[in-house]
Amino acid sequence: MAALGQATQAVATGSALARARQRAAHIPDLLVEAHRVANTVIAGWHGRRKRGIGENFWQFRPYVDGESLSRIDWRRSARDDNTYIRDREWEAAHTVWLWADTSASMLFQSSLAPVSKQSRAMVILLALAEILSRSGERIASPGVLDPIATRNASERLATAIDLQKSQMHFPDVAQIGRHSDLVLISDFLDPAEAVIEKLAPIAKRGIRGHVLEICDPVEEAFPYRGRTQFIDPESGSKITAGRAETLHDDYRRTYLARRESISENLRRLGWNFITHHTDQPASTALVALHTHLSGVPGGGIRTVTA
Amino acid sequence: MSALSLAFGAPAVLFGLLALPVIWWLLRLTPPRPKAEIFPPLRILARVLKKEETPSKSPWWLTALRLLIAALIVVALAQPVMNPRNAQVDNAGPMVLLMDNGWLTAQDWNQRVAVANTMINDAEAAEVPVAIVFSAENNHNASPDTAASARERLNAVSPRPINSDHKGAVEAILSAMGDTPIGTLAILSDGLHDANADGAWQDLLALAPADVRLFESNDRNVVALVSASNAANGFSVSAQRLDTSSAMTTKIAANDSQGRPLAQGELQFEAGSSDGTALLSVPFELRNDFANISIDQTANAGARFLLDESARRRRVGLLSAEPLDLSQPLLSPLYYLTRALEPFADIIVPEEANLSDAIEELMAQRPSVLVMADIGTVPQDAEDDLLEWIESGGLLLRFAGPRLASGSRDDPFVPVELRRGERALGGALSWSEPQSLAAFSDHGAFAGMARPDDVTVNRQILAEPSPDLAAKTWASLADGTPLVTSSPVGQGRIVLFHVTAEATWSNLPISGHFVEMLRRAVLLSKTTAGQQSAGDDTILPPYRLLSANGTITLPSGAAQPLKVAAGTVPTISYDNPPGLYGTESGFVALNVMQPAQTLTKFELPAFPGTPVRSSYIGDESRDLEPYLLTAALLLLLIDSIIVAVMAGAFSRLITRTSRSMAAGLAALMFIAMGLVAMDSPAHAADEKPGDSDILASLDRTHLAYVLTGDRRTDRTSALGLDGLTRFLSYRTSLEPGEPVGVDLETDPLSLYPMLYWPISADAEPPSTEAISRVDTFMKNGGTVLFDTRDALAGLNATGVVSPQTTRLRNILAELDIPALEPVPSNHVLTKAFYILDAFPGRYRGSPLWVEAAQDTDTIDDRPARAGDGVSSIIITGNDLAGAWAIDDNGIAVYPTVPPDPVQREHAFRSGVNIMMYMLTGNYKADQVHVPALLERLGQ
Repeated sequence: MAALGQATQAVATGSALARARQRAAHIPDLLVEAHRVANTVIAGWHGRRKRGIGENFWQFRPYVDGESLSRIDWRRSARDDNTYIRDREWEAAHTVWLWADTSASMLFQSSLAPVSKQSRAMVILLALAEILSRSGERIASPGVLDPIATRNASERLATAIDLQKSQMHFPDVAQIGRHSDLVLISDFLDPAEAVIEKLAPIAKRGIRGHVLEICDPVEEAFPYRGRTQFIDPESGSKITAGRAETLHDDYRRTYLARRESISENLRRLGWNFITHHTDQPASTALVALHTHLSGVPGGGIRTVTA
Repeated sequence: MSALSLAFGAPAVLFGLLALPVIWWLLRLTPPRPKAEIFPPLRILARVLKKEETPSKSPWWLTALRLLIAALIVVALAQPVMNPRNAQVDNAGPMVLLMDNGWLTAQDWNQRVAVANTMINDAEAAEVPVAIVFSAENNHNASPDTAASARERLNAVSPRPINSDHKGAVEAILSAMGDTPIGTLAILSDGLHDANADGAWQDLLALAPADVRLFESNDRNVVALVSASNAANGFSVSAQRLDTSSAMTTKIAANDSQGRPLAQGELQFEAGSSDGTALLSVPFELRNDFANISIDQTANAGARFLLDESARRRRVGLLSAEPLDLSQPLLSPLYYLTRALEPFADIIVPEEANLSDAIEELMAQRPSVLVMADIGTVPQDAEDDLLEWIESGGLLLRFAGPRLASGSRDDPFVPVELRRGERALGGALSWSEPQSLAAFSDHGAFAGMARPDDVTVNRQILAEPSPDLAAKTWASLADGTPLVTSSPVGQGRIVLFHVTAEATWSNLPISGHFVEMLRRAVLLSKTTAGQQSAGDDTILPPYRLLSANGTITLPSGAAQPLKVAAGTVPTISYDNPPGLYGTESGFVALNVMQPAQTLTKFELPAFPGTPVRSSYIGDESRDLEPYLLTAALLLLLIDSIIVAVMAGAFSRLITRTSRSMAAGLAALMFIAMGLVAMDSPAHAADEKPGDSDILASLDRTHLAYVLTGDRRTDRTSALGLDGLTRFLSYRTSLEPGEPVGVDLETDPLSLYPMLYWPISADAEPPSTEAISRVDTFMKNGGTVLFDTRDALAGLNATGVVSPQTTRLRNILAELDIPALEPVPSNHVLTKAFYILDAFPGRYRGSPLWVEAAQDTDTIDDRPARAGDGVSSIIITGNDLAGAWAIDDNGIAVYPTVPPDPVQREHAFRSGVNIMMYMLTGNYKADQVHVPALLERLGQ
């Protein structure tokens, strides 16, 4: 009897991109409904070319009474008689940071699933990038791609991931600014405490997170029987169970408890947590992510226009 | 050579067994390989898997199994041979084979032949001539010859059902060998000793053969049946055995002539005794069908004992002075005798009326027993014949009677001297009372029988007192006078009952003891009595022969007729093998064992040197290698299956099987539950839509009307039937439930006795299916009341046909309707409840049409027509429902035409009569006779 699961080759981003486009075609243009994006009716996309809260310089304008003195740009004001205020460009343009786990455990694919976890993660990641870039969001990937806002962001992201060979277990999130959205796609097989320990500081920094857990159906159902040796694809350590079916109930309890714990903690942090099984179509996860990115879960789905 | 000798072709390989501990150590280290599975959530699994469950070594029994496999292979490679032959034939002279082929060799003949073949092969290898002699043959040829011819002779010979003749065989060897020294003397003994041969054996052994080998069978259960006879309480069988060391029980069976077993018994041998007995207690009637006795599971001639007619039914001749009077059989002694003897004896009655001729006729048929009932004097010319017959073993059974009482004193055919005249007990002029019987004598044929309490004797013949009277008495009365006496005459016997054979002198003949007493007396006789007359030899042809293996065959050409000399018991020989001799009508059985013959174990007389003894069984050397290798392979297969099971190869299969089994079980249980619940009407599976409606309408009678689809008509019908229901409840004992509207297309009709069908020309005509349902309803006893409601328009002579009538005609055209007639004045409808002469509704004038009565010829004779079978159709045009219709306040909805309250009352009465007629049928027709009946009774 063949083994239920197998380790697959990491999927090429090129083919993943093609599939991602296919998936993305089903999803309506993603307009990130951030409550901070107040004015969306200005011409152009997102109307962000105006003064507002931001880091980049936008314009100097004369001081009007009643404005905060602290906003006066004294250097400019010193050049003539007027007092100027330095306006910054409104940084409403949302940067959505996308990250997918590419570790060895993600390369697992069982006979019950059509694709490996990594393949599914890459498809969802690129589809998300496609959708976001189509709607003019800025796409970035921590440690892989700096924020860009182009129409072909998904291709760029795919290329960057392809070029970036080293498999980071967890991304460096220091460069992610506040008010950004962070999409994390992984299997989160670490103990729940370890996962939360990593994610909690990020959440504290005001980053909105959307966590997608990808799991293979075998990992959840545990259909093993008889004498079985289990091999960890990452560490290579082995465990042999004399009668695997006896572990079924205990394992499932622990596995689901871990998921429950992560989910509960993330909800407390204000993050979203989605579980996706690789035997389900990728679109389901994509729609769920889309919904969460759109703001209101369940209320964000627009009519399909494309 | 022991029975379990073992040798190895390559003993060095056995050192391989030393490697077993190493194999054991290796096996311990290699558990069955687990199935490898990549499993990313290993850390979660590791938390669940508390301790290392996996055994580091396979279970001990698996290790033991594998060690056993290894050991088997090693031993097999060492080429083990069981019973290796290592004896070499002595080549000092010819080899002499003395082979027994008597009756005892039949069972293991093939093994004996195999041993002889081996010996011949050995002699051939040693290049010595072979002399083979068979002990149960007619002429013994012991001349040495080549091995090939010896083999030919061996193959030609077969076991014979006779005793081995060692003397003849050994003497043949002696004469054939002459001075030639004997190399090897091999004796293939059947285990029986021939007492005549001792001298010959000593002569033979005096020749000092270089090598003496004695092959003996190690069968310890050699049993031969010796005799079988019919005893009073069963069929007794005796047997002899060879080995007397321990007690033994052997099953025997009695078979009929077709070989079917009739009875079974057990032959008991006590330890130390060679005699065994068995008693087959079976009904007497069955014993006569026994043809032979056989020992189960033993196939030789000694284990089958043939029975001849000596164990058969007795032939009994009946003689009486008065012929059997068929008109008064109960007064004839022959009647009682016939009835009593029939179950166990063949009865012959002489044709001749003359007593002398009758005796002669009976003697010619050679009966075992002659019964003479009240014959006073035997004719002089028959006396000698009769006496001779008795002396040669015949049994004369006499019954007393008036003639014997007045017979001559010197009657030679009485066992005791009789006193003339009879003794009457309990007569009118006697003080004495009828005597009952005393206990039976211990020495007679009746010994052991219970004393009959219910037998009384009124009259008897007395014996003269004599010293030996008591010895001759088998049964006596309570006062000591003899009732049955007997004395032997020659080989035969005379028995006298001192009472009559009919129930005049005593009630013994109508007692059950009479049968038993006769049976015991008859058993004393010999069946062969008079068959062989003394003094001359009889020659009997073979009829059936017994083969050596105990089967009964047709005679072969070799068997010679049996000469039976007078007074001698024939013995078996080569010419006269055991079997049945004679013809189908009468034969003599010749068995292997003669009575009083015993079995003796074969022993060689003492001689210088010792014989090499061996057995026949397991003598062949056998290469064990293939067996061991096969066993190892099988164990290997088992091991593979075990390993596969442990690795979970079948787990999915098992799960699927158990799942499907569970499903099957569930299905079975479901079916069972369904079967159990079938009786309960409330079971969900049986429920159909509308059941509740049916149940609701079952408890009461409901009036029903047909929903025509015309709202106005339907409402009128509902109100009308409601009004009639109220009227019925008020006036009669019939209290119907709510009226029900019935849709002819769908609703069940069988729930209602009557269907009111107002014909509406506007409504949709009913479909063909609905019409056929109405037809079924009418055929099954329902009544349809058609109402065309057109009395004002139609059903008159004008020829104008109203649309309603047209519709009705259309409907009726498809129904199977008998001839109709208007209700005649004496129809039961006019008398069913009210006396009516018309049946008005809203209108009056339209007649009420019913089925025409069949008995039109008697129409005037009876006050009412017996409508056996209610008319299934009633047609009116008077709009009955319109007249019955009342609203909730009890006020009529429609006026009558003409407006007459009496007409409405009559309309209701019409309805009541119609309902009563429908529900009671011709009951009311009978009621009209009541006045006439009462008048006839005079009240």
